[in-house]
Amino acid sequence: MTVWAHILREVGFRKLNALFSLLGLTLAVTIVAASQLLAEADERETRRVTRDMGFNLRLIPAKTDLGQFYRDGFSRHAMEAATLDRLATQLTNNVSFNHLVGSLRRDYTINGQDILLVGLSETYVAPGQGKKPMGFEIKEGTIHIGSEIARWQELKKGDAMHVGVRRFTVANDPIETGTPDDITIFARLEDAQSILGLTGKINEIEAIDCLCLTADEDPLAILRREIGGILPEVQVVHQRILADARAKQRQTREKVNAVVLPSVLVAGAVWVALLAVLNVRDRRQEIGILRALGKGGGRIAGLFLGKAVLLGFVAAALGVALGTWVVLEFGPSLFPVTKKAIHANWALAAQLIVATPVFAALASFIPAMLAVSHDPAETLRED
Amino acid sequence: MIRCDEVTKTFRKNGAEVVSLDRFTAEIDEGEFVAVRGPSGSGKTTLLLTLGGMQRPSAGAVQFGGRDLYALPPAERARLRSGEIGFVFQMFHLVPYLDLLGNVLLAAPGRPSDAERERAAGLLDDLGLAKRATHRPAELSAGERQRLAVARALLNRPRLILADEPTGNLDPENAAEVIRHLAEFHQNGGTVVLVTHGSAADEYAGRMLRLDRGRLVGD
Repeated sequence: MTVWAHILREVGFRKLNALFSLLGLTLAVTIVAASQLLAEADERETRRVTRDMGFNLRLIPAKTDLGQFYRDGFSRHAMEAATLDRLATQLTNNVSFNHLVGSLRRDYTINGQDILLVGLSETYVAPGQGKKPMGFEIKEGTIHIGSEIARWQELKKGDAMHVGVRRFTVANDPIETGTPDDITIFARLEDAQSILGLTGKINEIEAIDCLCLTADEDPLAILRREIGGILPEVQVVHQRILADARAKQRQTREKVNAVVLPSVLVAGAVWVALLAVLNVRDRRQEIGILRALGKGGGRIAGLFLGKAVLLGFVAAALGVALGTWVVLEFGPSLFPVTKKAIHANWALAAQLIVATPVFAALASFIPAMLAVSHDPAETLRED
Repeated sequence: MIRCDEVTKTFRKNGAEVVSLDRFTAEIDEGEFVAVRGPSGSGKTTLLLTLGGMQRPSAGAVQFGGRDLYALPPAERARLRSGEIGFVFQMFHLVPYLDLLGNVLLAAPGRPSDAERERAAGLLDDLGLAKRATHRPAELSAGERQRLAVARALLNRPRLILADEPTGNLDPENAAEVIRHLAEFHQNGGTVVLVTHGSAADEYAGRMLRLDRGRLVGD
């Protein structure tokens, strides 16, 4: 009889032991699969929500009067666009900021309406991170306009609009946001520079800090030290409410992951090991007679480890299916903003289907060794 | 075939040292039918397990076919046990989730060959169990279970059968049946060492060893 046939018959005979092992492993895999899928969804949601929150770092010319800056919402001073390039070349995974966008903001009047004109550069991210731009992409020859401008100027998506002497196409469906964006025209940086007669100039670099530290941990000191070392001509304005919200969201997720995953793994391993110990105790006579029949330690260990591998494999398939179903079913209500991005993760499924049998075998290793080292004479004399 | 020289086995029980076999010395020739008798705790089972390579003695040596049994590596000793020795125990020690055929074939050294399957089926037939080949041990009477254990012990055509009170749980009729099968094995040239309390084997055993407190007190 092959080891697998032997294992299958034993599983069929001691159904409760196998069932409890299977339930424990399935639960563990379900939690791991669901928590990973939820973590991915949470990260997407966080990225999206924080993107929507906007940048939390504003680098403006050092000589800017902060009173004027806060009153007008932008600096009246300008700096060379090359400043952005200098900072962008320092973007690595070792600095505490990312997602750099150079901007030029000025008040502007168009057809008698006072508006803000904002030119945005492309987004610079640290190499190898593959992160998507935080802001929206403005295609050549287009602008994005606020809802109040659309209403005043009677414009909609696809309409032509003249700004200065330049003609643009409105690229967005203007939606009322209740923010200064409603009276803002977003254009490409080069276009805004050209319209405002400030070629090669910007008056702000927007960024996001990657420290994930809350205000009481003083992220600003770290940021000022790092950025000041590269660009002494700028001053750093840190929007702490946004930064704290971001940091707290990430910290919470990291804490949950740091607790949930190890707890599930430990609990699962203990559960499987305990049931394997009970199985070994139940089968002491069988182990004794197998020894008497000349079966070696490898065959006996194989019966227990093979059973763990078999149950681990089945549990992985069930757990992945169940965990994925739970997330697909309940994930959209937890992460409404990015719900369309919630999908099954086949790479994770494959990893779990490989890892769970290995994990179950490792958890059963000590009981299997107990079985191998068990003195058969002890049980065979227990008549 | 088997030679025991000053074989001693001691255990520790509740902190005290218990001598289970005390300088046991004897020789058993090929083709003998030896009955081992003695009161409970006299070391009969210990002797049987020691002869079968299942329990290393604390002192002394056991030779099987001229080889020092406990000087062999464990894997070699296991191979010898599988190929040359059959065990029959009072409590049967059958695997509860395998059918009768599966229990007999458990003794096969590897994946059972067609020849081994045929032999297993033949043994079940000889022992009156053929019709129950697909049953599980729990569905059998005590006598049937012991006959099944005998069939398992015979599968590999061993040279030696070590039987530890195989009739202890059987009624006289079934006890006689089991002993008759062991005698048949003996008549075909096999060696039997039988630990027993009863007299069922008296007419077949050519030699009687008596143990008392681990010592050989009669041969």
